[in-house]
Amino acid sequence: MINWQIVGSVVADAIGAAIAAIGFAVISNPPRRAILYAALLAAVGHSIRFVLLKYAGLDLASASFIAAFSIGMLSLWAGYRIFCPATVLYIPALLPMIPGMYAYRTVFSLIKFLQSSGNDNDAIHYLLEIFKNGITTASVLFALGVGATIPIFIFYKRAFSMTRTANRVKK
Amino acid sequence: MNNVHEELKAVSQFLTEYATCLMASGVHTSRIVRNTARIAESFGFEAHMTLFHKTINMTLRSKDNAHVYSTVSAAKSGAINFEFNSELSALSWEAYDNHLSLDTLWEKYKTITGKPRMNEWKVWILVGFANASFCRLFNGDWIAVAAVFVATLVGFRLKQILGKHHINHYFVFTISAFVASLIASITMWQQWGTTPDIAIGASVLYLIPGVPLINGIIDIIEGHVLAGTARLINALLLIVCIAFGMAITLLMMGGKLL
Repeated sequence: MINWQIVGSVVADAIGAAIAAIGFAVISNPPRRAILYAALLAAVGHSIRFVLLKYAGLDLASASFIAAFSIGMLSLWAGYRIFCPATVLYIPALLPMIPGMYAYRTVFSLIKFLQSSGNDNDAIHYLLEIFKNGITTASVLFALGVGATIPIFIFYKRAFSMTRTANRVKK
Repeated sequence: MNNVHEELKAVSQFLTEYATCLMASGVHTSRIVRNTARIAESFGFEAHMTLFHKTINMTLRSKDNAHVYSTVSAAKSGAINFEFNSELSALSWEAYDNHLSLDTLWEKYKTITGKPRMNEWKVWILVGFANASFCRLFNGDWIAVAAVFVATLVGFRLKQILGKHHINHYFVFTISAFVASLIASITMWQQWGTTPDIAIGASVLYLIPGVPLINGIIDIIEGHVLAGTARLINALLLIVCIAFGMAITLLMMGGKLL
């Protein structure tokens, strides 16, 4: 029995991620042919993370790692098709998963911590916030970078020659 | 004898230009090294290089190691450009497979780097939609989404205009974050919707320097630890600027967020 509410929320998540990926990708001026593939990769990756977080009970870093790994694998397939380096595809696709909210909360708690002079309870609270958000930011970032790069290490021959047009017909 | 040296000089002039351009386009370090060495190899030379954030050291030598030409060149500053990344990588393979002459390489390089960027208004509107849908991903309600959309459009336009005047990067990020969060904070001030905190938090996320963050991680795992750390610290400084811009807004609002 398919639970349509779950399917709906996953699809909504995928669409949101795709729109976010397109918008954040165009800031870096990617080749036009790469934009839709980056959006597709972002949609798949982000919805994988959404499902893992919500229904498999994984933590943010592990879920991000698995999602980034899937994006890395797909970027090898897509990059080979359209003659693009894998990074051109997977960096925009990872952008919606960048823990920007946690990063800014870390720095923001730091500011609040500095302002909490004289009140130890506040200071401890913000110290905890700095660590919680800071460690989440660092580990998610690391998981994203490592996860997406592992496929390139495994298939390095293919990954290094994706823009090579010799012996292949460029569409 | 002299000929080899002249050729090394001419090739290294092209290679430094090529490598600094890749560096400015936001390409991770190992790809810059690989692409540059690949072109050098098509001329029968070996290229070895050290990349720092501001300078690129390169030594080009003939295969028998009898002739060496070294350059130190300043890294160019420029906007991230993945089209250059893609097309210039393809150029390095073309040079490797077809042994292109130096003149052809220059010509192709000029054509690739002469391509205009995507229309700035198109980018502007797409970034607005992107950040709005980002707010939705964080479970913001539709009022928050609308507020983020407007805040992003104003903030990003400001960033584009200030960027054109080559104003200090950190200043641009602080001001854009301040303005965007100020606009989004109207929802908190007027008590519109149920998630004004998400609106304010998401309104500055279009500024997060995602590309240097990921490039920094890639560099570090691939062994270019110094280059990667430099990228990460640079990105961190920009995030501090974003937080600072937001802090101004929050001080004005009474600082009730978090």
